[in-house]
Amino acid sequence: MKQISIIVVLALSVLGFVAGESQAADLKKTTRPNGGTLSYGEYGRPATLDPITSNEMISMRLSELIFNGLVGISERQEIVPELAQRWEASKDGRTYTFFLRKDVTWHPKPGEEAKPFTANDVVFTYNIMMNPKTITPLKVRYEFIEKAEMLDEYTVQFTLKRPVLNALAKFSFKIIPRHGPSNPLYLTREDNFVQHPIGTGPYMLKNVTADREIVLVANEKYFKGRPHIDQFTAKPFADQNILTQALTFNAIDMIVLVNPRSIAEIQGDKRFILQPYNALSYSFFGYNLRNPLLADKRVRQAFGYAVNRQEMLDAFFNGQGTIISGPFAPGSWAYNLDVQPMPFNTQKATDLLREAGFKPGADGIMQKDGKKLELTLMVPIEKESEAVKRVVLAFQNYLKNIGVSVKVEFKEWQAWKENVFADHSFDIIFASWVFDDSADISSLFHSAEIGPWKNNFGSYSNPEVDALIVESKLTLDHEKRRTINRKLHALLADEAPYTFLWTLTNYSAYHKKLQHVAIHPYKFFSYADDWYIPVAAQK
Amino acid sequence: MRRSTRVKKYIQTSGEVSDFSKLPLHKKFSIPDLLYVGYGLLIVFLVLVSYVLGAFNLLPNDPQQINMDMLMAPPGTGGHLLGTDFMGRDIQSRLILGIQAYFLPGLLAIFISLSIGIVLGVLAGYRGGYAETVITYFTNLVDSFPRLVLILLVIAAFKPDIYYIMMVMGITGVPAVANAIAGKIRVLAQKNFIEAAIALGLRTRVIILKHILWYNCRALLIIQATLGMGEAILLETSLSYLGFGVQEPTPSWGNMVQSGANYFMQGNFWPSTAPALAILFTILGFNLLGDGLNNMLEGKRSR
Repeated sequence: MKQISIIVVLALSVLGFVAGESQAADLKKTTRPNGGTLSYGEYGRPATLDPITSNEMISMRLSELIFNGLVGISERQEIVPELAQRWEASKDGRTYTFFLRKDVTWHPKPGEEAKPFTANDVVFTYNIMMNPKTITPLKVRYEFIEKAEMLDEYTVQFTLKRPVLNALAKFSFKIIPRHGPSNPLYLTREDNFVQHPIGTGPYMLKNVTADREIVLVANEKYFKGRPHIDQFTAKPFADQNILTQALTFNAIDMIVLVNPRSIAEIQGDKRFILQPYNALSYSFFGYNLRNPLLADKRVRQAFGYAVNRQEMLDAFFNGQGTIISGPFAPGSWAYNLDVQPMPFNTQKATDLLREAGFKPGADGIMQKDGKKLELTLMVPIEKESEAVKRVVLAFQNYLKNIGVSVKVEFKEWQAWKENVFADHSFDIIFASWVFDDSADISSLFHSAEIGPWKNNFGSYSNPEVDALIVESKLTLDHEKRRTINRKLHALLADEAPYTFLWTLTNYSAYHKKLQHVAIHPYKFFSYADDWYIPVAAQK
Repeated sequence: MRRSTRVKKYIQTSGEVSDFSKLPLHKKFSIPDLLYVGYGLLIVFLVLVSYVLGAFNLLPNDPQQINMDMLMAPPGTGGHLLGTDFMGRDIQSRLILGIQAYFLPGLLAIFISLSIGIVLGVLAGYRGGYAETVITYFTNLVDSFPRLVLILLVIAAFKPDIYYIMMVMGITGVPAVANAIAGKIRVLAQKNFIEAAIALGLRTRVIILKHILWYNCRALLIIQATLGMGEAILLETSLSYLGFGVQEPTPSWGNMVQSGANYFMQGNFWPSTAPALAILFTILGFNLLGDGLNNMLEGKRSR
């Protein structure tokens, strides 16, 4: 299912540190056979293939195969060396020095020698990322860095504006080559580089076929050792049903995100493995508090009680997910398990509305001072949006039961974004957030984030929440931060600026021939260089 | 035309005086034509009945009643003759109510294309000269726009509303009507009876309205109108498949096919098959009606 996903790119936060040198390259088992090809199906096609200008999950997954960061995240969620061999952090936590590997080369351009990777490329990447003319979702994420300097050819130093908790994990951004983009100052979507990326990663771009299939081949000179599978092909599909059919008819070997509808079908097929992975994301109904009817907390709470989350999750998503209670994604350390999700209770919902001064009118619609509780739910039109359509129609029905009239208004995608984020001319939206730092919700609920094209689209403003968010950001102690976030979770669950719904379990499906498949929650292909296909299955 | 047919008949029967209008139907017209028109009229009747049933809410079930315990129930279960859709709503009721989405908007589209088309056609055909050149350029211009793209532009600018869509459809239908009328007039202008009418001093208004449009173009206009209704349904269906047709929760045959198609592969064929068959038989009816009437009124296949 394709959700209306708005990627909140803030910062990657990971528990635990593994400092110093580890021999990631040497850990690789050399007994696994090389060879074989893997083609995987994606729903839709990416606009750009580089890690900086793109904001789509599809290109993010490709970047994982083509590029590397200074540090990586292991399967056990530890920080491991990648392009940086080791690092040092100053005592005050404001300077980080990275010592780079000397054996790394860039993917060769056709007919050219492969160029070596140096500190120059790191500084270049940082500068191009922060250039105001570069349009990238990454900029806000790295505003805490003051500058990047090259100390020598293989040493680079970052100076931070202020100490940051888990700063090291944030240096996992992908490094691009200085000789890549044609413009050395900033990167736009017109640059040739965004369609022909050059990286250091396990796979390099071979070509994009006429059918827009993206063909990647193994990088023989990959610094962690040659990846096992010879070729990765990303095949775009415009229809999720066909995507599933393609898998069952062996036209592809893997689907990165299985449509919830097709889960049962694939589950019954012995040729495939269905692997769940949890992305840090959740779906919600968001309210526009500029509307005086919705500014009343009791009205928003009433909506929360009126909605039967479990029924929707079971009926529309085969129960593949978790009901949530608050603003953090479950699975995040910041999530407060002591807060219970609002139960389905129509009586309580009606009571809350009466308490807020609403009385049923002659037509059954609740009203207060002659003002009817009539609201507009704005939904973007997407071709493959029937899961969204179902949730929206069910929501309309639930609210009808407590005497609230909801008008569903479908809008073309661009128009929808403008209505929600710029004009704020909506009452309710249904959407999902995808986090990569599940502990940072400042851009969603802090009052400084109210304004055109900012993420606090509902104009939620509460000094107590603001104070907690700031406190959480400035704290360097992990336990303290956890306590603050738990408080924040409980507070926002009660305040109900959103009706928090659920996190869906994502499923990947792949052919049994693929071995040693480990999946990163949202980057997906982080460990793909270790995947392999037994010789017998290579054909 | 009928008058001239009658004359022809009279001459052919050489001596034997027989009044064409008193002949039995099957002698006057070919059997296939009668079947076409009969089937077409049946469909028109069914559409009218459905429209009335929908308008007065005389449906077997509440078409908006969501039932989350009965999602995609097969036909016949729980009093749902045609089963339920992806929200557990009764398909039969939604099918009947679905005609509401086309009826008035479709008539609007037909009205726009016929009224503007007639005016432009008469101007081009009867006046000729400068007016003809301008109108030909105009109709070519409208014709050169891809209709679907034009509609998507309008939707992006305003909102997906069936009336906007049908207005665009009406306007893009103008050239076909205008060209047909202008062509017809060009042919008629060489006929003696028009010349005679002018010679007798009949007013231009009378010649155009009575002798050209009423006596000689009404068949053509009826055909354009029936084809227009079928086209309206088809267009809404294709737009629905892109997600831009009539929007939920309002039912239309197009959005029923589209949402049902998502579950087709899982073996739930009825939510999309029922409206798809409705579309097939209805459009077939309108087209056959147009075809049959064309043959009858234009006398092309009369014995």
